[in-house]
Order: sequence, then C-alpha cells, then structure tokens
Amino acid sequence: MPASYEQQITLAGDLHARPAGALAVAAGRFASAVSVTASGSTADAKSVLGVMGLGATSGQHITVSAAGPDAREAVTALIAILGETTKVGG
Amino acid sequence: MSAAPAVGIVLVSHSAELAQGAAHLAAQVSGGTVTIIAAGGTDDGELGTSAAKVERGLRLAESGAGVVVLPDLGSAVLTVRAVLEDEDPATNVVMADAPFVEGAVAATVTAAAGGDIKAVAAAAEEARNARKL
Repeated sequence: MPASYEQQITLAGDLHARPAGALAVAAGRFASAVSVTASGSTADAKSVLGVMGLGATSGQHITVSAAGPDAREAVTALIAILGETTKVGG
Repeated sequence: MSAAPAVGIVLVSHSAELAQGAAHLAAQVSGGTVTIIAAGGTDDGELGTSAAKVERGLRLAESGAGVVVLPDLGSAVLTVRAVLEDEDPATNVVMADAPFVEGAVAATVTAAAGGDIKAVAAAAEEARNARKL
C-alpha cells in the first residue's frame, strides 16, 4: 500500500529560481507524487515553474507532502534541500 | 546522481544573446548537469536562425538519451523542421511547442531529474500553463 507522509519547514530564505530548481530536480527522482504547499497554495514539487509560482519567501511555513512507495524518503530529502538552499547567502 | 545520460536541450533563438542567456539560466536553475546548447542568430551573427547552428547543436547535445529542441519564434520552427527533415530518421529528436524561457527551464530541470525525452518535451509544453502571478 502506498504510504503518505508530510513534514513542515520554515524557510530561512526566499524560494528563488535556484532553490526551486534544486527541489524540482530532486523531487523528479522519486516515484511518489510530491507536493509543496505555502500559504494555502499547492504546487507539484516536480514542476520547477509551479514551485517558483508559489512565491514563497523567508519565514513562511512550507509543507512538503508525498504519497507513494518512497514518500518518506522524498519528504526527508526535499526538506533537507529546502533547509540547505534557502539559507541566507546560500 | 544517476549514471544514465540525460536528455540534451537545444535552444534555437533569433538572437544569439537570448539563446545564450536562456541556456545560462536553465543551467543555473537545474544544477548544471544537463547539456544545453545555444543555437542563436545567423551564421554571420545577425538576428535570425541558422540551420548549421541547429545541426551542430543537435550533435553536441546528444549523449544517448535524445534531444529536445525549443524554437523561440515562428521562423525558428521552419529552420528546425528543415534540419530535422535531413536528419537520419533514427535520430531521437523532438521539437517542443513551448514558451522559450519557461520551457527551457522546465525541460532542463526534468532532464536533470532523469526524465526521458517524452517527459522532457512534455515538461516544456506544460510550461505554457504555469502562471507567474
């Protein structure tokens, strides 16, 4: 049975093009469906344009959700990327 | 990082600078693991497109997984079509009907994630539905 999993992070920096790209590249490697929610808007984490379209900024709470065979691994990996790539000066 | 080759991208623009800029942006956003070739301008550096540049781009971008080509405006499509007509039918090339900048970024990110040629072309074409505001 496919698992679903989600986790939250508070962004340390804005979700600009490069972090959005890193997130979408990583998300695309998982079999699970993965989404990112910020301020009530949800985007497919595998769509870089969708993630950029969220316009998520520093201090916002982001939820990463996944459903599928590698849901937990996907969420863990994407939360790590969000923490790393949105660091100030990162 | 997967060992399998990524789909290559060729950006065909009337402007050499536009093709190069879009290639640079797409490379930065996708992490620099995908081959992106800028094929912009005419052979003598004017605004326009060049079959020779497109042909060269297709060769340089192919690393075993196929190539997705994005034209910017109408007559770039004609140039790409003319080149593809002369290609070996076994050549694995798809032209995507997509907004140039958004399509280049979306296609390259999908290629970097290991998407196949169909997925990469689809990501480019879906870019027209992505809202910025």
